[in-house]
Amino acid sequence: MKVLVVDDFSTMRRIVKNLLRDLGFTNIQEADDGNTALPMLQGGNFDFVVTDWNMPGMQGIDLLKAIRADASLSHIPVLLITAEAKKEQIVMAAQAGVNGYIVKPFTAATLKTKIEKIFERLA
Amino acid sequence: MTIAMTGRISLEQAKSVVEFLELGQQDEANAIIAEIQNPINSELFAEIGKLTRQLHDSLTNFQLDSRLSDLATSDIPDAKERLNFVITRTEEAANKTMDAVEAIFPVVNTMAEQVAAVNPSWTKLMNNELDLSEFKSLCLDIDTLLKNTGKETQHIHSLMTDVLMAQDFQDLTGQVIRKVIDLVREVEESLINMLTAFGISAEPAQEKALPKVGKNLVEGPIINKENRDDVVADQDDVDDLLSSLGF
Repeated sequence: MKVLVVDDFSTMRRIVKNLLRDLGFTNIQEADDGNTALPMLQGGNFDFVVTDWNMPGMQGIDLLKAIRADASLSHIPVLLITAEAKKEQIVMAAQAGVNGYIVKPFTAATLKTKIEKIFERLA
Repeated sequence: MTIAMTGRISLEQAKSVVEFLELGQQDEANAIIAEIQNPINSELFAEIGKLTRQLHDSLTNFQLDSRLSDLATSDIPDAKERLNFVITRTEEAANKTMDAVEAIFPVVNTMAEQVAAVNPSWTKLMNNELDLSEFKSLCLDIDTLLKNTGKETQHIHSLMTDVLMAQDFQDLTGQVIRKVIDLVREVEESLINMLTAFGISAEPAQEKALPKVGKNLVEGPIINKENRDDVVADQDDVDDLLSSLGF
């Protein structure tokens, strides 16, 4: 399974990559915002996107909307991992079709549970 | 600004004005009018004079506060550098820590694999079910395991010391951030002084001003969650909210 991790901070990408590797995901690529993520997604058979919300360039929520609006990408599950914690934003993400929402700071156990839930639902 | 209207015209003055005008004595009539207006003018001038002095003093005080210009031209750029230093140091620390942890993961995995490889034969041995050739092979496996474990625990120990030492950023960044907090406090005081000099109330706003948000309401980490009712407190709150939306 091919995963794209999108975050503007390389340390956070590294943390998420390590956690994903522990969960058995080995094919992981990185992007630092929506603008770099979107062409990567369009070019290459990704199965799962884990993205931050607040990034310079294209934000995670706009990346999510772009993914849902693109017929060739709309099926890809998207997990948001973000410090954005306004109820209104969580509702916004749900309406945009997010598959999971993790608020930072988060634990490895939370990530595991949310990912399992996402793939159970898709199965 | 209020000016007492002490210069009201009296009946006598009015009659005199009419008389002078009827007699064609324009200058005398003008003199009475000037006399009537005089008290108003002098109070108005006094008030303008007072305001002018206040404005002058305010401007002088403002110029005297040269600390403010030092803050703007030197201290604040310095603070930006300090905060950039904090970003750099914390990033370095995070990477050093992850370097060590990523180096430990495979070592621990190898040890776990070797233990798992020995385990079935070991169980058989404990149950007296192991034949001689299996026993010889088990001895070799255990030999490898012991040698490897001894070597790798030293390696792990040194990597864990790296993790420990990577935490030294906290002391340095803590000191730097404390200095920046002092600077922010000083800027705040200077600005309050300036407001006071211009006669604007510097009382803290009673209503809690909501923080500035960017596109899509982005605000970054919320540091006063307990005082806010528009944000979630933790992951449980997120999950509850999402399930209430039918997630």
